[in-house]
Amino acid sequence: MPTRLKKLESLLYRLITAPSGVAEGIAAERDLGPGGGLDAIVLGDDRLSAEARVDIYADMYFYRLLDALKEDFPATLAVLGDSDNFHNLVTGYLLEYPPTEPSISCCGRYLAVYLRDHPAREDAPFIADLARLERAIVEVFLGPDAAALEADSLHALAPADWPAIKLRLQPSAQILALQWRVSELLRAVEEQRPWKPAEQGAVKVLVWRRNARVFYRDLEEAEAAALEAVSRGAAFAKICEIVAADDHTQDPVAAMNRMLARWLSDGLLMGG
Amino acid sequence: MLGYGVGLRRQHYSHVLETCPKMDWFEVISENFMVAGGRPLEVLEGVRANYPIAMHGVSMSIGSTDPLRPSYLRQLRDLARRFEPAWISDHLCWTGVGGRNLHDLLPLPYTEEAIRHVVARIRQVQDALGRPILIENVSSYMAFAASTMTEWEFISAIAAEADCGILLDINNIFVSAFNHRFDAHQYIDAVPAERVVQYHLAGHSDHGTHLLDTHDHPVCDEVWALYERAARRFGAVSALVEWDDHIPEFAELAQTADRARTIFATAARTPKHDSLKNRDADSTEKTGKPALSADHRA
Repeated sequence: MPTRLKKLESLLYRLITAPSGVAEGIAAERDLGPGGGLDAIVLGDDRLSAEARVDIYADMYFYRLLDALKEDFPATLAVLGDSDNFHNLVTGYLLEYPPTEPSISCCGRYLAVYLRDHPAREDAPFIADLARLERAIVEVFLGPDAAALEADSLHALAPADWPAIKLRLQPSAQILALQWRVSELLRAVEEQRPWKPAEQGAVKVLVWRRNARVFYRDLEEAEAAALEAVSRGAAFAKICEIVAADDHTQDPVAAMNRMLARWLSDGLLMGG
Repeated sequence: MLGYGVGLRRQHYSHVLETCPKMDWFEVISENFMVAGGRPLEVLEGVRANYPIAMHGVSMSIGSTDPLRPSYLRQLRDLARRFEPAWISDHLCWTGVGGRNLHDLLPLPYTEEAIRHVVARIRQVQDALGRPILIENVSSYMAFAASTMTEWEFISAIAAEADCGILLDINNIFVSAFNHRFDAHQYIDAVPAERVVQYHLAGHSDHGTHLLDTHDHPVCDEVWALYERAARRFGAVSALVEWDDHIPEFAELAQTADRARTIFATAARTPKHDSLKNRDADSTEKTGKPALSADHRA
């Protein structure tokens, strides 16, 4: 093990990610001390001190991740405002959930979890659900591929085979159980329209991909229950039972046909 | 020798797929395509159908004291098997430690300890990928008191001992030369010609006290002059234009790649420096470039 190299890398990591900046990070290092001990490790000159040089990396670390998170969470950013609020959110988030994965697209994986107990919820109680939906969109965008189920292959089935068939959701699709109806807010931000705060109310949101584009929509209770059954591997007969049992369903057969037709046209079901 | 290419960026996906513009090759950021599926891989399929590519990584962290990630190497190998790049490159740097990632390219101290460490890891990577890789010199803003050699001695020693290629970033040499007050010409003149397989050309920003490798400006005249010097010394080497912020229309990138082509053509006709003549003659003969490329494709 290259011990000197490990010690150097560990020190630089601590300084670059120090919560209050490199200067305070240096002050907290017992081995360095306040007498400019960093100069014995990093070379400074008349243009830039050793500390200023490490500071360049500290800035790049923070702002690269800030930019990545702004891109992945445009509605969360819009709600918090492109100012100190989002900046401070990211500062705190990176301290609690520093990046660990090689891909920067993973850096926002825990932002919704972090927001669950964040003071930003006082003014925007829906913010964690909004971030969850935005993160799901990133994950679905990069999720696994699978061929879509074609309607023709269902048409070819014998009537007797229908009850036992098992439909499968696309492996990238997600069904989110949220407590706030944030879809409209996100759509408004995406379409650059004025947005209104999300209303409270339990809702299931489907996020899926078709032809490399990500879509999302709120689900009615019956459809949510049916899709969750599909994802659990239930047979078609069971899914029909779930739809029929829903209090809001007037005509179960027509409702099931509508749902199935939409799932097929949305490319939501997996073929093969 | 792939010729003169540009980095494939999201802003140009549609243009490249729909119009199939004239371009020798594209370089892709490996990590952007080390995903389960979706648009990135669909785009890469379309691009690869019409162009040669090289895969360029930013997160191998070859200089880190953390163990190499087997899952990362597996994904990289699988991506390479699927898209058959002419070669795979990453940076001579570390990007994180202690299981954390800084998503930045941090310099190493130029020491014997670091050479031994990096060489062992490059060999491990090359074994996992079943092919040699290229390592790229990074722009840096700090240097270390512990260093016992120059950057060009460091990268040359590593390339020789690990038996890998060098991706020579001309802009990075210029940026680091300014930031650390070394002679960029000396760097170009000292790198082992037989190891140089690819160049990067890019722009940077001037912050007065230092230059920052921002890839958001055109290639400056001084970097073009350095490239010309490299072209004279190293002969025919594939060149690649990088642009990552304030990305212009594709046509401007293509023009920059064409300028690299023109400069090489002119440099190839210009009498070489006497002091370099022998090595230059060698470099075009046995640069390892074609051989390395062939190995990569095998």
